[in-house]
Amino acid sequence: MIELLNVSVSFEGQHVLDKIGFEMKRNEFVYLVGQTGAGKSSLMRLLYMDLKPNNGRVKVAGYDSKTITNKQVPLLRRRLGVIFQDFRLLDDRNVYENVAFALYVTNARRTDIKKKVLHALSDVGLSHKRNQMPNELSGGEQQRVVIARAIVNEPVMILADEPTGNLDPMVSAEIMELLRKINMRGTAILMSTHNYELVKKYPARIVQLVDGSLSEVELKSKKSFS
Amino acid sequence: MQVRYLVKEGFSGFQRAKLSMASAIITICISLLLLSCFTILLINANNVVELLREKVEMEAFLQGDLSLEAVAGVRGRIASLNGVRETKYVSKEEAAAIFKDQFGEDIYSVLNFNPLPPSVKISLKTGFRTLKAASAVYDSVRSIAGVEDVIYRKDLLEMLDKRAVGLLWLMFGIGVFVTISSVFLVANTIRLAIYSKRTIIRTMKLIGATRGFIRTPFFIEGLVQGFIGGCASAGVVFVIFGYLGRWVSIQLSDFVRIDPYYYGIIVGVGCLLGVIGSLISIRRFIGESVAN
Repeated sequence: MIELLNVSVSFEGQHVLDKIGFEMKRNEFVYLVGQTGAGKSSLMRLLYMDLKPNNGRVKVAGYDSKTITNKQVPLLRRRLGVIFQDFRLLDDRNVYENVAFALYVTNARRTDIKKKVLHALSDVGLSHKRNQMPNELSGGEQQRVVIARAIVNEPVMILADEPTGNLDPMVSAEIMELLRKINMRGTAILMSTHNYELVKKYPARIVQLVDGSLSEVELKSKKSFS
Repeated sequence: MQVRYLVKEGFSGFQRAKLSMASAIITICISLLLLSCFTILLINANNVVELLREKVEMEAFLQGDLSLEAVAGVRGRIASLNGVRETKYVSKEEAAAIFKDQFGEDIYSVLNFNPLPPSVKISLKTGFRTLKAASAVYDSVRSIAGVEDVIYRKDLLEMLDKRAVGLLWLMFGIGVFVTISSVFLVANTIRLAIYSKRTIIRTMKLIGATRGFIRTPFFIEGLVQGFIGGCASAGVVFVIFGYLGRWVSIQLSDFVRIDPYYYGIIVGVGCLLGVIGSLISIRRFIGESVAN
């Protein structure tokens, strides 16, 4: 599903990722932890090909950073679902239209769009709020809309960049339950987080970024997160 | 391609971003108005110059003792010259009648005889109403046997060649400047409008929209803005030159001629401005990282 081979990324001569290697299989749930500025977001950007490595190669869902063309990047992104901490919903359209938006770009058939959107909204428990505008929703609900938008295309993988960063513990737990449910259905999830309690409550494989290097870690104490 | 969705999205700005849509349309309208007024003045200034050039006639005065056959021969030789459109023979009697028209007195009552020579009035073809071409015709006519003298408004042609052409070039230069400024003005206004839609562009990229898919609604939006701005501008031009111009001065409205198809051109240029403005603006945002 994901393969990073000897990948290095630097900005203005500063190494952000240094010769990292990483592999992730279909159906896996992996936490990506590390300090702020450790390079978690850069690693995520590598995966949805918003960033190309200076060295090494990134392979995601059958696409290779060495060979992928600009025209293929949208095709890769249609196979991924990306979730951000700051939601990134479109304020000028309602919940239904926000989710349907992801299908319009893939040239889905009109008859399928309605069915798929309502299905995704039902998965995240927001069918009844389909006509609400984003600013009428709580933070947790907005993140659930984002998740619905991420899963509506039935992606092979979800990249969640600190999805609970702006949410309180109770709502964060709801989001985690949702992500676990999606993962159980076969979608791989790579989630970057700072939240020790959450990782403790929902254990899974953990990789940590420290000084540009990536390593597997065991959850022992809160210290391993800092 | 989701044609229906893209068209709907292209028109959605009218509902979702009324203010930026209105400012883009007003900018297009004002830019076009400047451009149209300038073009109308330029075209009509050119018309005036051409009108003045048309007035430049040559007159070849013939020797007084030529027989009618010889006059016909001279006239034929003049008419066959390159650059001569038509000729008209003015006999001594006709010259005397013209004199009377101009001065109100009979030439015979002033001098007891008619000193006015017969002449051939020569009008030149369009491309020959310049100083250089007219001089060449002048030399040719002058060399024809039987022609005593040739006159024409050399000073007027000199002035038209030197000053009017310079003025036209200056106006053309200003026109180019106004055009480029209009494109930048429109592009900047549209860029501001699109700037507010960066989130949409990023989200579209993030969920796998192709560049063509992202561009299309903005293309449609630019086209619609340009069309409305163009129609508004054409309307204002019609009111200014067709109605107000007549109110200010009948001579002014006679002087300024606007062909009906010109209004179509204004609308067409409006559409073009809107589309170019949109495409220039979107190009910058479409290349941005989705993670910003």
